Amino acid sequence: MEAAASGMAAQQTQLEIVADNLANADVAGFKSSAATFADVRAGAIGLGTTSVGRHAVFAQGKLVRSGGPFDVAIDGPGFFVVERGAARAYTRNGEFSRDADGAVRDASGYALARVRIPADALAVRVERDGRVLIDTPQAKGREIARLRLASFAAPEALRPLGGTLFAATERSGAAHLFAPGAPDGPSIAFGMLERSNVSVVESMMQILGAQRAYEANAKGVQAADEMLRIANNLHRG
Amino acid sequence: MDGIEWMGSAMRAARAQLDVATHNLANASTDGFRRSAATVALTPRGLSVGARETHEQGAVHRTGRTFDLALLGAGAFRVGEVTTRDGAFQRDKDGWIVDDRGRRLHGACGPLRVSEQATIAADGTVHDRGRILDRLPLPGGTRVLAGALETSTVNPIGETLAILTAQRAFETAEKTLSAIDATREKAANDVVRVQ
Repeated sequence: MEAAASGMAAQQTQLEIVADNLANADVAGFKSSAATFADVRAGAIGLGTTSVGRHAVFAQGKLVRSGGPFDVAIDGPGFFVVERGAARAYTRNGEFSRDADGAVRDASGYALARVRIPADALAVRVERDGRVLIDTPQAKGREIARLRLASFAAPEALRPLGGTLFAATERSGAAHLFAPGAPDGPSIAFGMLERSNVSVVESMMQILGAQRAYEANAKGVQAADEMLRIANNLHRG
Repeated sequence: MDGIEWMGSAMRAARAQLDVATHNLANASTDGFRRSAATVALTPRGLSVGARETHEQGAVHRTGRTFDLALLGAGAFRVGEVTTRDGAFQRDKDGWIVDDRGRRLHGACGPLRVSEQATIAADGTVHDRGRILDRLPLPGGTRVLAGALETSTVNPIGETLAILTAQRAFETAEKTLSAIDATREKAANDVVRVQ
């Protein structure tokens, strides 16, 4: 009975993760997660399953042209470095907009580190190699900053902060900052967004599978319960 | 062994078969899991149920992570002191290839420590910066598919069927046991009535 119950709990976990993925399927730069389970063994007949962990899947999402005035995407591995006050986070969501104070912020208020757009800028663009260029009435293509991307020794150990933001942890190692645009390295795509890497069809299939497995496990609990009931009634004839 | 003991052992056997089926079902989402098949043996002391692991190949699904490895064929990965077919690995910050519990994946010459550019080829060799670093100790003919995971071989419909079968077998044994018990009750109390 415990084995079947552990299976129900596992499917519950699976459903929660798939639901979370699906809910964010339309969020630019979102990375899906996957759960890992392991079987519990003791002697010949096992004792069910246990949830071992959850990891983000950092597979590249499709880049799509978005037309946003400051939309950027990373073609290749790496993260944007964003800050809010003293808090620093890393994200692949490049859906930024220009704030009144010149900062370039995302929807949750995190600003791109070290980028401040002067008030007289008419147009802003970002080159492949991360150089931020502005057009002012006086000059065209003046460089005001250069975006640097962060890479990690173990990106899968980053701590999710909700949505598309991640924080560095002991296990992920410290961020290593690098300039994009190297010949075989990642580059910046301006006016593009990275779609989430969630496959809606695959998520739906996972939900169906989890639901069926949950029901089947519930049957197992029922059957075990029924056997105990019968055994209890043996004596009364 | 008399009839009641036989039926008791049949009920225990049905219960054990249920345990095997529920263990399988619980692991319907465990990557690399291979379903166990219940084995029933007739012994002079009643029915004895065991379980043995089956060796069917699980379906493979793509994940896109570099160090997710699926085995096509026999064999298993060595992580720490144990072996597993669950190939969900990642590179930790020191370069070790670890599973979600932090256990290190072993090659033929010990735990694997690689750079970010490392790849694992179909024959199990670990390539890192243009040279061969090590090889996963796998039997001949087994191929490794990187960027994919082998899913559980459990089929929920089959296991549900096994649950129902075990449940009915349990009931049958119980009914038979009760019938034998009722017969004995009659024999003891009614056939020879002591005046």
